[in-house]
Amino acid sequence: MQPEVFDSKHAGIPYLILAATGVAGIVGCVIGAMMDGRQLAFSWLFAFIYFFTLCAGCLFWILVHHATDAAWSVLVRRVLENVASLIPVCFLGIIPVLIYAPFLFHWWNLAPGEDPLLDAKRGYLNHTFFIVRTLLYFFILSGVALVLKRLSTRQDGDGNTWNSVYMRKIAVAGIPLFALSLTFGAFDWLMGLDYHWFSTMWGVYIFAGAAGSSMSLLVLLVTGLRRKGYLSCVTMEHYHIMGKLMLAFCVFWAYIGFSQYMLIWYADMPEETSYFLRRNVASWNALSIFLVCGRFFIPFPLLLLQGLKKNPKHLCMVAGWIVFMQAVDMYIIVMPMLHQRGFRPHILDLCTLAAIGSVLGLLFLKGLGKYNLIPLRDPRLKESLELTN
Amino acid sequence: MPEYRKIHGLGAEFPTAAALFHAAEKTRDKGFKRWDVHSPFPIHGMDQAMGLGKSWLSAVVLLGGLTGLFTAVVLEGYPSLIEYPVVVHGKPVTWATVPAFFPIFFELTILFSAFSAVGALLVFNQLPKWYHPLFNWERFTRVTDDGFFLVIEARDPKFSEASTRQFLEEIGGMHVTLVHD
Repeated sequence: MQPEVFDSKHAGIPYLILAATGVAGIVGCVIGAMMDGRQLAFSWLFAFIYFFTLCAGCLFWILVHHATDAAWSVLVRRVLENVASLIPVCFLGIIPVLIYAPFLFHWWNLAPGEDPLLDAKRGYLNHTFFIVRTLLYFFILSGVALVLKRLSTRQDGDGNTWNSVYMRKIAVAGIPLFALSLTFGAFDWLMGLDYHWFSTMWGVYIFAGAAGSSMSLLVLLVTGLRRKGYLSCVTMEHYHIMGKLMLAFCVFWAYIGFSQYMLIWYADMPEETSYFLRRNVASWNALSIFLVCGRFFIPFPLLLLQGLKKNPKHLCMVAGWIVFMQAVDMYIIVMPMLHQRGFRPHILDLCTLAAIGSVLGLLFLKGLGKYNLIPLRDPRLKESLELTN
Repeated sequence: MPEYRKIHGLGAEFPTAAALFHAAEKTRDKGFKRWDVHSPFPIHGMDQAMGLGKSWLSAVVLLGGLTGLFTAVVLEGYPSLIEYPVVVHGKPVTWATVPAFFPIFFELTILFSAFSAVGALLVFNQLPKWYHPLFNWERFTRVTDDGFFLVIEARDPKFSEASTRQFLEEIGGMHVTLVHD
């Protein structure tokens, strides 16, 4: 195996595009902050949670890779590690959310005694604990991501197989920590938008979307790198496995989403139905139907085809579509709290996406150039190279 | 004693899974069609080494799953929406009730897929089978322990006792034996 390092100094055009969109996005956000703070708050939360789920999903795949001592994913692991190591930066995006919390979270402004329902939840929903929890998620998720990347890149240098053992141990401990952080993060930032409403499926729902879309993102990134001449060792067998995982999580998302919907719809209890009533008002209804079709009914039959999964071009189309649908999913979760009368797109939605996405993209490209694109001295590298399935 | 039974084929034993794997590749390249390998455990990539191609099982399972889905649609839709349009649990008697039917759609799809998978598996593997000529070969009993075998059947168009025996010995087969029905 030859060392392959991404030449980030000469990745000119993507750099320029990202820098341009980033500047445009940030300028747009600043102007938006002066003109319509409320809209900016919701658009920012939408963009933040979208990129956060993508990064966190990549961390999930690394954890699974190490915990199960997997072999196939060795070749693509470094790409996942590069995305997951963006989590600390991504978390900086929570600062505007905290600043704009009074716009976003209705409960933030209520004094004790104003709403007995909130008073009953005060032990959990109060300002101090909210910020403490956010910090906890930050330290846990960033810590796990950075330590795993550190050990993995250290192995590139010293070739010590004990690194793999340490990573496995950290991953096994990290899985429950990751699950708790993502679940309660989803509770705090998304379910907390309507503090009356609750769903025990919520954390799993967000996780299902995150895992599926980040596997799709991985397919896109790997294909992009292959097109530039890197990662030529990734074969159609790897694509096949990534496609199978996309299929699995496409079904899993639908399963969880439907389970959440059907129980609420069937029981028809007012404190639970509010979520879906809000998302089926006027044009939101059309968007909700689009979400169900686009996130499940369209990709599912396509991903069943074996030939499609072994064709990078076709798989990329489906992967791109799923990454897009993840944005729609997050949009439908966040935005109906602001535009209650119906779907109303706003330029700030794009500005926030561009701002956060471009910064993360630039850092990703820069980080990609620092280490080998594959963990060269991983003990299971040979197995991954000779993968058949 | 004159041998009056029909010839089933020529069997050869190989010392390791790797040896069997490479022997299978050579047999495939030689153009034999009616032959099989036997080992105590599944060997990764053997289907490619034998040149088996894609199994038809998935097509059968897809058909089974679609049959299950169709059955569920008819089983639920016809009585609930057409024959007895009764309001149950305050849900409308229109297509909008369809989420209540989804679990059955899903379950019957899975059930029929599973049945067709098991059924097709038995048919494709010609199971259950009460008799197989290979068990007339004494060494073959080791196939469940540490024996790796390759058998070329006599009905293969390229089969001829002398040249096939020579071929099996060339590719490293040991104890090449004529197996009778």
